[in-house]
Amino acid sequence: MKVLLIHSHFGPPPATYADHIAAGRLSVIRERDLSADDLAGAGGLITTNHLDQIGFMHYAEAIRAFLARGGRWFFNGHILRPFVEGLGNYVPLDRPKRADLVLTRLNSHPVFDGIDQSSLEENRGVAGFYGRGHNPLPVGGLAVNGIGPQMLPVDWEWSLPTGGRIFSHAGNDLGSMTGERGLVFADRIVEWAEAGAK
Amino acid sequence: MSILAVHPGACYHIESFESPRFAGYFDRLVRPEDLGSVDLHAFNVVLIPCRTPADRMEASKEQLLAYLDQGGTIVATGESESQLFLPGIAFTPQPTNFWWWLTPGADLGVRIAASDHPLFARLTQRDVTWHLHGWFDPPEGVQVLAVNGEGKPILYIDEVTTRGRMVITSLDPFFHHGSHFMPATTRFLEGFLPWMRNDLDRKAD
Repeated sequence: MKVLLIHSHFGPPPATYADHIAAGRLSVIRERDLSADDLAGAGGLITTNHLDQIGFMHYAEAIRAFLARGGRWFFNGHILRPFVEGLGNYVPLDRPKRADLVLTRLNSHPVFDGIDQSSLEENRGVAGFYGRGHNPLPVGGLAVNGIGPQMLPVDWEWSLPTGGRIFSHAGNDLGSMTGERGLVFADRIVEWAEAGAK
Repeated sequence: MSILAVHPGACYHIESFESPRFAGYFDRLVRPEDLGSVDLHAFNVVLIPCRTPADRMEASKEQLLAYLDQGGTIVATGESESQLFLPGIAFTPQPTNFWWWLTPGADLGVRIAASDHPLFARLTQRDVTWHLHGWFDPPEGVQVLAVNGEGKPILYIDEVTTRGRMVITSLDPFFHHGSHFMPATTRFLEGFLPWMRNDLDRKAD
């Protein structure tokens, strides 16, 4: 089944996905043109931090059905709408200092396989680009990466009791990261999403 | 009091418009797709925030122009390609150097161009300095409030293109404040929004 990249911002989709789009592994759809039928025909879903969350709530029923069929949704950004029962609103760090931005691998995950999480802490010597808070871990979810001394779940995967999986990255688009890392993440995210509803 | 904010619905818009910190500055929120069903003349100010997808605004182009021509005020912040749906805007994008401040003693070059303007009773140069996305070549007669290092306008008020008023900037404070990133953008909104309420939220003369 198809993997959809929901393209929410104005301008071209993230360049890191160009090869997947060209190879037909990823279908790009403008969020404003999305319909419930598109979700019904998809096995995987990738959304960006530009997602129109108010608009996407109109598809809550279609999203539930997508997940119940075993669909996989890779979510980037701050959750601020209750798309699915069990999700909670993003919690930002309170005036984080450098120590609050330390990243720790908590559980292995194919998207992060072989990647030293601490190497993602800084971009040109500045911390905080990866994430500055967390989307609350749903009951039964698996924390993948923690942030700060409390190791708050900045990344997690949740196998829903009703079927399907959601991966949450509480930051800018992981697959749009600049440089080689972005290409690696984009490839792994597509691969992860492709396993949905097979 | 009547300020209408266009609400495109991304997480940074939701944080900026709905969280208690600034929610009181927006009397009504409207989805871009619902603008057509709103009487804009009931509002003194229409605000279009950073990163509003231009293709969600283009259908409202004529409505916005009519609103301006009847004396309305539109505030449009950066990264929305405002030239595609507002009149008289000539924008030149520039590569963004997010890292300029890592060089000791570096100066992004942003300068306040009208220090006696009431906005700058609430904002300092430091509060309008984070990074640059581009500049404008505005029509003659506009009031330029801030410029980049080359003296090109990045924030100005246009009362010449229409019978109304446009406050145009390439700065993107809602995106960064709403992403919980870049304290300067929060400081910018802490000065800009009270100015908008106090000085812009009134009926045209």
